[in-house]
Amino acid sequence: MKFVFFHLMPYPYLPDDFDENHPSPSLTFPNKFFDRKRGNQLYHRYLDELEYAERLGFDGIAVNEHHQSAYGLMPSPNIMAAALARRTERAKLMVLGNAIGVRGNPLRVAEEIAMLDHLSNGRVVSGFVRGIGWEYFAHSINPTHSRERFDEAHDLIIKAWTSDEPFQWIGKHYEYRYVNLWPRTVQEPHPPIFIPGAGSTETMRFVAAHGYTYMSVYAPTTLVGRWFDGYRRAAEELGVEPDPEKLTFSVPIYVAETDEQAHSEGRRHVEWLFHRGLKQGFQVVYPPGYMSPGSLRGVLMSGMKPYTETSYEELLAGGYVVVGSPDTVAARLSELQRTLGFGQLNGLFSIGDITHDETVRSMELFASKVIPALRPLGAASGTAVAV
Amino acid sequence: MTNAAEVARPVVAGSAAEEYLDFPGGRVHLLRGGAGRPVLFLHAAGGAGQWHQYHERLARRFDVIAPDHPGFAGSDELPDVEGVDDLVLHYLDLIERLGLVRPHVVGASFGGWIAAELAVARPDVIGSLVLLAPAGLRLPEHPPADLFFMTPEQVVGALFHNLDHAAALFPGEPSVDDILAAYRDMTALARFAWGSPFLSNPKLERRLHRVTAPTLVVTPVEDRVIPVEHGRRYADLIPNAEYTVVEDCGHAMYFEKPAEFAAVTGDFLARTTAPIGGNR
Repeated sequence: MKFVFFHLMPYPYLPDDFDENHPSPSLTFPNKFFDRKRGNQLYHRYLDELEYAERLGFDGIAVNEHHQSAYGLMPSPNIMAAALARRTERAKLMVLGNAIGVRGNPLRVAEEIAMLDHLSNGRVVSGFVRGIGWEYFAHSINPTHSRERFDEAHDLIIKAWTSDEPFQWIGKHYEYRYVNLWPRTVQEPHPPIFIPGAGSTETMRFVAAHGYTYMSVYAPTTLVGRWFDGYRRAAEELGVEPDPEKLTFSVPIYVAETDEQAHSEGRRHVEWLFHRGLKQGFQVVYPPGYMSPGSLRGVLMSGMKPYTETSYEELLAGGYVVVGSPDTVAARLSELQRTLGFGQLNGLFSIGDITHDETVRSMELFASKVIPALRPLGAASGTAVAV
Repeated sequence: MTNAAEVARPVVAGSAAEEYLDFPGGRVHLLRGGAGRPVLFLHAAGGAGQWHQYHERLARRFDVIAPDHPGFAGSDELPDVEGVDDLVLHYLDLIERLGLVRPHVVGASFGGWIAAELAVARPDVIGSLVLLAPAGLRLPEHPPADLFFMTPEQVVGALFHNLDHAAALFPGEPSVDDILAAYRDMTALARFAWGSPFLSNPKLERRLHRVTAPTLVVTPVEDRVIPVEHGRRYADLIPNAEYTVVEDCGHAMYFEKPAEFAAVTGDFLARTTAPIGGNR
């Protein structure tokens, strides 16, 4: 199995009346609550944690994109990746991902990823996401165009990376009379691609057909299992061998010396993430047209409650999060791996309002005691097992 | 349940008959009732597929034709109809298909925007024009409320002045199918309205001088969705337009005060109805 250290870079210092008086930390939560000095310190703390993850032996370090939100402070994930590129040497530099559904100029993404591939000497992994619901409000991008904008931006970026002659692009959403990307990427034909999925069969087929990696979002094991099965089925239908490493399970993880300590410390951080960070209304999560009727029906029929109404105990039992001693966490993740069959684990260690010290201790315990136990799991069939 | 569309549920089956018309890419559903001069009614974000007491009252005096916009309620999404400019052509086609001769056009809110664009594009094709709290203008000082961003409770609060009127229109817990139907209507609205500009055509204001139809603009005084300044601006810019208000009423308009809105609409149309062929 491969291990990714993922960061959201949240702004944890919410006002005392946040729960009562603020419907969400995103979009309408006034930026007067961003303390310039503390915010400044956070960026450096979070980048330190990402750099430290490489030294601890994580295979990848990952950033992502959110806008106008205390949930995550990376409106430009490529800037964060650039800050990490020359301070790290070995780990995959993973942008999970650029929200190409809301970007006005997808060629800029192609250019920046290509530049990052040089700064990192070919270590970049390029994730593409549609951007979650609130980004469509934040960018005044019509969510009914989300899927086709994503598809067109993807096709354009791939062609820009792989074409060795200038070309013209005339699409529904983007038009360029000259596309001629300088620099080309280091990796050939282009960096590996990750795509998150949340149940859409169109996405499963798309990911399988292109040989990309399918990555889950935070959800109960029962749902993630269905999604991963869907990906495997799509791959088989296309005659593609479903390699476990093409499945990435995303999960917040907190490790402490004992189970008791882990729960007593971890609970509030997990609750921050799911009850505050992800606090938002249905109409913001699913702006009109963002979901196909079939996908929305699936969500409504799944019985999945809003994150804010899901208790800590339910989050644990449902497999949304993994918390405990190293032994407990190793056992739980082994169990999840057997159930879900993933070959990459995308762990969020800096959870919500966690402190730097707690983060460091959790990632150290994970690296020294959990990774060795899990490493042999989920290796690609037919290849040597790395221990 | 996400939006304004669930506000509008069938209230009165009344005398309306259902009809479907085939268009490229799908079919359009419409309700039609009454007799007399034709009145093309263009619905708001909510209210698609419904024959309300308002329509029933108008149908006592006119031949009322109430189609669902493409993608709303019983109408298929027509892939080629993706902007309000396309909707104008769509309704010109529909008028021709139904053989309507200079129908009066009544539009509410989003439908008022379409009606105004229609009257600008082809002043010769329509009879009189009634705009009920019309959307469509871009007034930076008076932006419309963002119904897309509201919770269902907030939508109801924004639409209705008297919440007692609202309570009667809502069933208890919506079913999955109710939610999906409301999401579909809101998606159809978003196709035409979401973006920059939001719910407007910045060029419309300077084109309103083209309207030749006798025009009435009606605004509910307590409108918290489309500020009354929009209606006033329409009335200022459309030549010889009349302007009137309905007191103690929110943007839900005929859902809140059906009799008043039917009277105000019907009286104006009766007054401005010329004999067919008389002023073509």
